[in-house]
Amino acid sequence: MTEELTTTPRTEPKGSALDLLHIVRINEEIKAVVAVAFKINIMALNAIFLAKRAGTAALGFGVLSNELRSFSGQLRETMLSLNGLIHDSVAEVSVLLLDSRYSGIFAAAAAQAPSSARMRAVLEHRESRTAEYRAKLSILRRSLRSSVEDAFRLVELGGVLAKSAKIEAAYGAAFSVSLSQVSSESDGIVEEIRGSLDTLRKSRFFRG
Amino acid sequence: MKTTQTIFQDGDHKWVAIVRDPARPDYLVDTNGYLVTHGGQGMLVDPGGLEVFPAVFSAVATEFDPSAISSIFASHQDPDVISSLALWLEFNPQMRCHISWLWASFIPHFGGNASTFAVIPDEGMAISLGGLPLQAVPAHYLHSSGNFHLYDRAAKVLFSGDVGAALLPPEHNELFVKDFSAHIRHSEAFHRRWMGSNEAKRQWCERASQLDIDLLCPQHGAIYQGKDVQRFIDWFDGLHVGVLRA
Repeated sequence: MTEELTTTPRTEPKGSALDLLHIVRINEEIKAVVAVAFKINIMALNAIFLAKRAGTAALGFGVLSNELRSFSGQLRETMLSLNGLIHDSVAEVSVLLLDSRYSGIFAAAAAQAPSSARMRAVLEHRESRTAEYRAKLSILRRSLRSSVEDAFRLVELGGVLAKSAKIEAAYGAAFSVSLSQVSSESDGIVEEIRGSLDTLRKSRFFRG
Repeated sequence: MKTTQTIFQDGDHKWVAIVRDPARPDYLVDTNGYLVTHGGQGMLVDPGGLEVFPAVFSAVATEFDPSAISSIFASHQDPDVISSLALWLEFNPQMRCHISWLWASFIPHFGGNASTFAVIPDEGMAISLGGLPLQAVPAHYLHSSGNFHLYDRAAKVLFSGDVGAALLPPEHNELFVKDFSAHIRHSEAFHRRWMGSNEAKRQWCERASQLDIDLLCPQHGAIYQGKDVQRFIDWFDGLHVGVLRA
């Protein structure tokens, strides 16, 4: 007997569960960006070596390649800090999901035992704890949003560097084809990261 | 947060152990959960209790997209095994839970409804995860009266639930058994008390000996690998169980 999994549509996530789904999406996107960002460092190194071989014809390209390498370092640091915030947010939303589960059960019990003062006290205590969790999450949400915006601005700067490198590549004389290739690849990767971060900025998690 | 460690990998076919939370309070028994991935899908094996959900969820999210987890395998009905079910279902209501038919009307007290459960008959069954064949292996009365282990032939991994479990002191928190003789001391009292039937134990040992196993992964304690797997099966075979005190 084989049990093949089928996806039977049931209810969609809501409340904290929906928040958790959104933060998970952000987490996955960040993981993808971190994986791609690593390539920029290698490409910038390649570009520096190429510029050295090209000599005086690629002086401008060499300067930009150094800047791109420094950009990749900053991007890595920014992504690491984003990773930390994401991790804290995932943990906090998971706690809220657990909390809302308990609160829902207590609320149902209180509805069926409206005369119980103790139950009302329990509910009030839970509400204040929930408010604390929500306040903590709200701070994390703002920090995360601000970090995503910072990362986006950084990547926009990286995009300018990569595009300038593409222009400089044209002056690389015999090396211009190789320089163009490496600068186009860097530009492509920066654009890919920019697109991902732009999607993250619009995440519904930040509307909560 | 719990930590994750990949214990088997072949392309996107992975077994990830979700273990050892330094922030876990002493009054909660430590548990090992496992994540199996294949073909872009994930299965959680004994995902744990309600209280450890945040620690498990956060750990899983560092390793794999939790929204791609399509199913849960619960070896049995205990709270440290499956009481987090309601939370996983809130996150992804399409998730299905594989459990012994015996518990299908008890587990919904933790959460889920009629469409949540894919019940396993007593003789076990094949379960597909993204095209990967897994096998629910009977382990009834070890310790639960409706109990299954999960075997992955391709990875040579047997998830063995409470069989092989050890209640380790805090200073022994290594993931793999290093010194079998020293380790098994932490297993003996547990197995004598929790495993209810010598006959069921005998049958399980015969069944397990016929499987090709590199890693025997319990729900508590350290993982047995290589020769320690058969060493454990032989030790268990010789142990008199169903005893109140040793």
